[in-house]
Amino acid sequence: MPSTPRRAAVIGGNRIPFARANGRYARASNLDMLTTTLDGLVARHGLAGERLGEVVAGAVLKHSRDFNLTREAVLGSRLAPSTPAYDVQQACGTGLEAAILVANKIALGQIESGVAGGVDTASDAPIAVNEDLRRVLVAINGARTVQQRVKLLAKLRPGQIVPDIPRNSEPRTGLSMGEHAAITAKEWGVSREAQDELAAASHRNLAAAYERGFLDDLVTPYLGLTRDDNLRPDSSVEKLAKLKPVFGTQFGDDATMTAGNSTPLTDGAALALLGSDEWAAAHKLPVLAHFVDAETAAVDYVHGRDGLLTAPVYAVPRLLERNGLTLQDFDFYEIHEAFASTVLATLKAWEDVEFAKDRLGLDAPLGPIDRSRLNVTGSSLAAGHPFAATGGRIVATLAKLLHEKGTGEGGRKARGLISICAAGGQGVVAILEAA
Amino acid sequence: MIGLYAKAAVAAVLPGRARSLPDTVLERSVTPEVGHLADYARVCGFPLGDALPLTYPHVLAFPLQVELMAGRSFPLPLPGLVHVANRIRVHRAIAPDERLEVRVRAERFAAHPRGAQVDLVAEVSVDGVRVWDGRSTYLARGAQAPTGLAGELPDLPEVDGPAAAVWQVPADTGRRYAAVSGDVNPIHLNPVTARAFGFPRAIAHGMWSAARALAALQGRVPEAATYEVGFRKPLLLPSTAELVTEQAKEGWDLAVRGRKGAVHLSGTVRRV
Repeated sequence: MPSTPRRAAVIGGNRIPFARANGRYARASNLDMLTTTLDGLVARHGLAGERLGEVVAGAVLKHSRDFNLTREAVLGSRLAPSTPAYDVQQACGTGLEAAILVANKIALGQIESGVAGGVDTASDAPIAVNEDLRRVLVAINGARTVQQRVKLLAKLRPGQIVPDIPRNSEPRTGLSMGEHAAITAKEWGVSREAQDELAAASHRNLAAAYERGFLDDLVTPYLGLTRDDNLRPDSSVEKLAKLKPVFGTQFGDDATMTAGNSTPLTDGAALALLGSDEWAAAHKLPVLAHFVDAETAAVDYVHGRDGLLTAPVYAVPRLLERNGLTLQDFDFYEIHEAFASTVLATLKAWEDVEFAKDRLGLDAPLGPIDRSRLNVTGSSLAAGHPFAATGGRIVATLAKLLHEKGTGEGGRKARGLISICAAGGQGVVAILEAA
Repeated sequence: MIGLYAKAAVAAVLPGRARSLPDTVLERSVTPEVGHLADYARVCGFPLGDALPLTYPHVLAFPLQVELMAGRSFPLPLPGLVHVANRIRVHRAIAPDERLEVRVRAERFAAHPRGAQVDLVAEVSVDGVRVWDGRSTYLARGAQAPTGLAGELPDLPEVDGPAAAVWQVPADTGRRYAAVSGDVNPIHLNPVTARAFGFPRAIAHGMWSAARALAALQGRVPEAATYEVGFRKPLLLPSTAELVTEQAKEGWDLAVRGRKGAVHLSGTVRRV
């Protein structure tokens, strides 16, 4: 890869436990959760009153009043008010994209420290007025005379009070994410059993991570919740096998995706702290890992042949090539579990000879990964997935895993791969390396 | 709560009122309910965070204050009591899910230049350890204290810099705060009931102004702090008001004032 003057360090992270929608955090806004998470990060790293280089975060479901969400969170936090901030939004890739932006500025020497992540609430979601009503209201607001206003008011109809509630569907296809994923699952022949196994492993791994205290310095309790309330430590393949399919039901007996092997709507926030090695040392903070490189890809899931959530399949080979690595050169794989089938279809695509040749333009497929290195402390199926928060959760988690492991095969530094699929047919992937 | 006000109104006109403060200590044990906390936070401008707003325990103690003041053994009539000053000390951040022991008593029944004043003192503990103290000073105009003891009122600095924020305070502010605080004193609810008590319009609760001002300092208030306020001219509803803040040694000085300069509230926040 092109040489950069230095690599950004991942220093730590903080998140609140993720809560299933319309539950524990039903009354919390994005700003409440983001500010609380930021204050937790500040407290954990002794940064009260500090001016950081920048804070970058975002939310996928966002009220128009939250146009400056991240800056407002900074102003309400214990950071110095002179810390700049901005919002980004790249659907489920938001948190990781934010980390890439911060890491790049650090690498270039433009800033010395930064915070990256995101927040989402599916409970306190924005509800817009009916589009017909909105047009009338906008016109009334712009009317110059009383007569004009009265004329416009006469256009109001009772049906217009029905609000527009945000839906988890793609604007161009009208299909929900789950319906899209079900098509991809069918295409790749991902079995129900394999999906349920992956889901059970996610719950098992996250529960074990909590048990061994791995999350003690990554999670701060909020509103009485101390652990993600979607987590089912006693989840099993047998229990998951009893659930009825909810997506891809048009495939009849071939429908495989259930509420158990799909992520639920969730509320939460997660942030990661990044900085230069010098900044970390000056603040007596540990460097857990370094940000090595990142890649974003997009696919034409509307008119083309690719599935909505398959862009990481393209992003990873490009990232590997640029860094002279193979898919097997990693100690940890953090593949976001939007749906169990998405992870499994992604792995199948990387193993497929024809797909490698025809679609990826490679002589040989990337090959299989050691599954014991996949999502070792659980992922979104167990923790939940507040869209923009997932990237921050994964960056901090992987950095800590790499720090624990230290070195991989042959004494090289331990290395981890992050892969996150996102709405709009996009995918964000990154490589982290132990410090 | 409305029942207590009615009871107090009757007690106020009956003869045989006590002449000194009762020794009564009222207690309740309560874990804040997230929904109520969220309602309070929204009305006052606080975030729904992982620590209670510094002023929140006041609304947990308030029902006990009213119960104590509404009783026949209380020497001053509840209707017409004016909240003139309030002092809060929080010893540490209080998590929203902690079980709080709230105790309320009355003390310092003393003379005031315009009548008599009394303090309602609230203590909040967790597992027997004090985490929060509140002292609300009320004035009974024209009443007489039993001894010549002169009451103390906080000595608060004047702050008259430029406005940090301009608030549009809507007409329903009193009703909204009444709903989350239980303080349904008619002077706050609507213009008609307020006029019965000699106000041209409804007035904002002093503790709403105090909470709103503190909320504006979010992120800048130490976890262990005192918050002392004096209530000056009533804030008529609706209103446009200005918040003035000035950094002080170990804290902040603040004021809420009208656009023409009338001071509604002066206050200080100090690190402990």
